[in-house]
Amino acid sequence: MFLYNGEQSYSYADLLKAVCMDDYVPLLKTHDLFKYFSNLIKALVNNKPLVLLDSDLSLSELGGINEEKINVIEKLRTQKFSSMDEVVKALQQSASEITIFTSGTTGQPKKVIHSVQGLTRSVRCAERYQWQVWAYAYNPTHMAGLQVFFQAFENQNTLVNVFGLARNEVYSLIEKYSVTHISATPTFYRLLLPFEKEYSSVQRITFGGEKSDRHLFDVIHDIFPLAKINNIYASTEAGSLFAAKGDCFQIPASIRDKFMVVDDELLIHRSLLGRSESFSFDGDYYHSNDLIEWVDRQEGIFRFKSRKNELINVGGYKVNPGEVEVVINAIDGIRQSLVYGKFNSVLGNVLCADIQLEEGVLLKELDIRCQLKNKLQDFKIPRRIKFVESFALTRTGKLKRL
Amino acid sequence: MKEKVLAIINKIRATKELPAVSSLNVNDNLRNDLDLTSFDLAELTVRIEDEFDIDIFEDGLVNTIGEVLAKLEK
Repeated sequence: MFLYNGEQSYSYADLLKAVCMDDYVPLLKTHDLFKYFSNLIKALVNNKPLVLLDSDLSLSELGGINEEKINVIEKLRTQKFSSMDEVVKALQQSASEITIFTSGTTGQPKKVIHSVQGLTRSVRCAERYQWQVWAYAYNPTHMAGLQVFFQAFENQNTLVNVFGLARNEVYSLIEKYSVTHISATPTFYRLLLPFEKEYSSVQRITFGGEKSDRHLFDVIHDIFPLAKINNIYASTEAGSLFAAKGDCFQIPASIRDKFMVVDDELLIHRSLLGRSESFSFDGDYYHSNDLIEWVDRQEGIFRFKSRKNELINVGGYKVNPGEVEVVINAIDGIRQSLVYGKFNSVLGNVLCADIQLEEGVLLKELDIRCQLKNKLQDFKIPRRIKFVESFALTRTGKLKRL
Repeated sequence: MKEKVLAIINKIRATKELPAVSSLNVNDNLRNDLDLTSFDLAELTVRIEDEFDIDIFEDGLVNTIGEVLAKLEK
């Protein structure tokens, strides 16, 4: 099977048929994941350039699109294939360029152009990967969604769409299709808390993002006791770069000479990046805005400290909101939190937190602040806590920073 | 209004494990009499802003309860 999406299911034979048909939709606008993937693969194997946009963008946000051509089928003499193996091979050798947009937890989306080879740099193919079943938990038009798609597709694995679904729906699909692999944002995993029962079909859990959150790892490990858990560092600018080693990351030997660290900031060589007018280079290097510290420089092992522009200045003290969130999230009964600075005429910023509790939990602001007192320095404790029902998410499913 | 300010100040004192004060005096000094640090004052402004939509420190330092109330009465 190729894809389970809601009530629909599609086999690889269905996909092969769709890819070999001569009709192509140059301006496809759809919520139908199968149509989206088959159109995407068709473009790539025929070496056509692609621009991937979010389905919720309004046309007024885009320039130069002829509305009358949207979803109009064009006859295109497409290459014919007799098996999926041939399609996979053609995709791996595709000369297409794919344009995607940064979701940006802040600011305007930026355009980045990638080659298929750049995007699939960390895809691993092998026979032993053949029977994997992936919960598809990312937006398909963004970097992480593409990474998971290529990994699964190139091994002809099964995808089960769980993006944007509620907790009980996600669990029921994991069970129904015996999902073996999940790759998702920490926010997605937090949605699965608290622990209620074990799901033993899952063999691998991948967290996107640079932060590691011990508490979340522990609970996820209880839910999926047989799964190996790891982190992966990827960005819209560079694609997938390196995976975690414990609570550190290791730069693979093959690209180790493509990184520099200046003033604690990780700099990435331009050869690893897509193309974009919005990139500014310092010589041949790109500022990642990620602050790191070396654990073993020779072996390329390092630990993330924070995002450079994320530090909040509170009365002259610098607060890393991620550090505070990890401590808050570890409190019993708290599902998720977002720490931010609010402009203040006394201190410059006052540290605030929005907190989402688990169902049925009655925690008061004072209780939480008292618990934080034993774990954080005073200036790192949020001065105002608001309880929220849910969080606004970015298009890639990360928490939206204010 | 005075009751609301009192409740806010007691809330801040509670997080510092200080006893609640029973009433506010216009001459009470925020720092010396009510034991509020600059971090506490920042919290005070945020909470007063939530409640009254006024930034009491916007144009300069406010030292006493009387000055806080005067800002809110404007």
